[in-house]
Amino acid sequence: MGEQGNSPTSIEDSGHACGSTASLSQSSTEDLRTELKLGLSLSIPSQTSSSSSREQHSDWPPTKPLVRSTLDERRIPPHPASFFVKVHMEGIPVGRKLDLFALDGYDSLIRTLRCMFRTNISCPGLAQVSSRKTYLVIYEDMEGDWMMAGDVPWELFLNTVKRLKIAKADKC
Amino acid sequence: MAIKKQKELDIEEKSPENRILSFPDEVLERVLVFVKTHKDRSAVSLVCRDWYNAERWSRTHVFIGNCYSVSPEMVARRFPNIRSVTLKGKPRFSDFNLVPPNWGSDIHPWLVVFASAYPFLEELRLKRMTVTDESLDFLARSFPEFKALSLVSCDGFSTDGLASITTYCRNLTELDIQESGIEDLGGSWLNFPESFTSLEALNFANLHSEVNFDALERLVARCKSLKVLKVNKHVMLEQLRRLLVRAPQLTELGTGPFSQDHKLRSHIDLESAFSNCKNLNTLSGLWEVSSMYLPALFPACTNLTFLNLSYTALQSAELAKLLQKCPLLRRLWVLDTVEDKGLEAVASSCHLLQELRVFPADPFEQEVIMEGGGNGVTESGFVAVSEGCPNLHYVLYFCHQMTNAAVATVVRNCPNFTHFRLCIMDMRRPDYLTNEPMDEAFGAVVKTCSKLRRLAVSGLLTDRAFEYIGTYAKNLETLSVAFAGSSDRGMQCVLEGCPKLRKLEIRDCPFGNAALLSGLERYESMRSLWMSACNLTMNGCQLLARKMPRLNVEVIKEDESDDMHAEKVYVYRSVAGPRRDAPPFVLTL
Repeated sequence: MGEQGNSPTSIEDSGHACGSTASLSQSSTEDLRTELKLGLSLSIPSQTSSSSSREQHSDWPPTKPLVRSTLDERRIPPHPASFFVKVHMEGIPVGRKLDLFALDGYDSLIRTLRCMFRTNISCPGLAQVSSRKTYLVIYEDMEGDWMMAGDVPWELFLNTVKRLKIAKADKC
Repeated sequence: MAIKKQKELDIEEKSPENRILSFPDEVLERVLVFVKTHKDRSAVSLVCRDWYNAERWSRTHVFIGNCYSVSPEMVARRFPNIRSVTLKGKPRFSDFNLVPPNWGSDIHPWLVVFASAYPFLEELRLKRMTVTDESLDFLARSFPEFKALSLVSCDGFSTDGLASITTYCRNLTELDIQESGIEDLGGSWLNFPESFTSLEALNFANLHSEVNFDALERLVARCKSLKVLKVNKHVMLEQLRRLLVRAPQLTELGTGPFSQDHKLRSHIDLESAFSNCKNLNTLSGLWEVSSMYLPALFPACTNLTFLNLSYTALQSAELAKLLQKCPLLRRLWVLDTVEDKGLEAVASSCHLLQELRVFPADPFEQEVIMEGGGNGVTESGFVAVSEGCPNLHYVLYFCHQMTNAAVATVVRNCPNFTHFRLCIMDMRRPDYLTNEPMDEAFGAVVKTCSKLRRLAVSGLLTDRAFEYIGTYAKNLETLSVAFAGSSDRGMQCVLEGCPKLRKLEIRDCPFGNAALLSGLERYESMRSLWMSACNLTMNGCQLLARKMPRLNVEVIKEDESDDMHAEKVYVYRSVAGPRRDAPPFVLTL
């Protein structure tokens, strides 16, 4: 257990004010160890020690972990980028813009468009009698042609789409 | 909470009528109902035995600042009629990972005693306590009148525990789990029965999982007294709009993300929902703000007194526009993404500002990918705010650079600081212009701000800073010190010079046993002392423990490498004796 102690030396065994005589006991070794741990110079305090230390500490600066983790989450963007395309609905002069990277497939596309324009858009590939009331999604590709959405895999579609249109089914 | 000797008033002996002595207890108790704060009540209880008894019978709310300072049985014995309990547990530095997990402050033993002593308990407010799902379930089933549960920075429970509360607490008015570490097992905990309508406050802002929105919407619709609603980041704008439409009476709102939501038809709908909320005084949340949606908020900002943007990476221009709509703002919390320019906007728009907190968006200075990530705030932003906001009395400021002159200017402009917390994030950084220690800065603070109650220091500091604190900070109650000081003398000055000191927390400072022992006389009048990574040894701590038997002197020993060094020391007064639930790494000396 080491020194028990009421003797003065052990009370002051932390002593390290400038110029104090270091006692040659166990305590001076631990002073040294502590000093090394703290990285502190024992003498003149005005030395600029590690003033710009960028050490990584999980406990410094004193911000709460919850705040930190929230900001960390934000630092890694959830999507690498966004890809906004214009969407026009037939008969309506003013169009909308839609981020295709925020969607994960054609289903999501149709659902979103239904929401945005509040109209019934039929799913690609469904054999439906074209009526005056349903709409279809078509897109202009890189070559300038207007194509029906849904034929090619989603990733391929993303590579080739320039803009979208919601057209009346009976006109397609 | 220490029971002191009964004293009798001199007046009683001198008074001719002596009628005070025969004042019936029941009447005294009726009068004492109007004495509310726990400090006043403690004072009342010290007057004489009769007053002590009258006070203990009439007290309905008990505040326990350190859960280990007293035992639940003692509380129950002294106060028979408690309806509301506030309990604080872990030392504050546990917020920054300095206290190992499973340290203690478990609420359960308290609940067991309360279940038999206070079956009609209505409110429980906990801070930094450990609360398990079993405890929450026990709570929900044991107290039929239970109304308000507030868990701030607590841990140990999951959404299952919350489900017990919502299922069984028929009279619940408040459920607030802010900043607590919750294990998220999914969103079905929000299952208040359809007949339940008493909710007044709901805060689940930092819950990670999505709650059942339909259930939430129905809940909000039928709880007509709902005043406080703080949702989490899964509640999108269209959903928020629907909630606002159902609860225009809200006074405090915490939003979800304020960014593009396809389901939202137009900004106008959102704006109109906000303009119906005429009673909003507090706004928070605003995760990921997209500037095109921000104006939708403006109609609700007229009466805002507290704006919490500490999760919002706002730029100075956006902040400026927002602040122009908030003329009555008293408290503002922001991230340092607003930079000095943003603080200049604060200065020009918020003349009534009393409290400012500026948090670092990027505390570890990793590569900032966020837009406009800059240099945070500097001393010029600080000075600007002090020039425009003379009523400032509370500041928490995180920065990378500061000067003594700037701080002196700030306190000259705002001499009424009661809380001054400056965190220069680079350890031991001197005044960046003069290269001198920051001693004069804090000297100016304590000399000028005579009402100062709370101080946090940082930057390069010698013992001189602490000499100033000991000499001038006569009203100081809480002091936080990190990476500062040159010798034991620093800590001694504070212990000798600050008569009202209650909480002292120190980390990574060159204070040793002599400093620790110089405070022998002080610790019994303080709530607690925390010292970590200082120069304390087991011997010094043992000596303290031996000389002061009514203090609990605890050493947290996490690794076995250095037997003599006391890495983390927690000293606090207690009438309950040493802890009986201490884990193996907490040694009570």
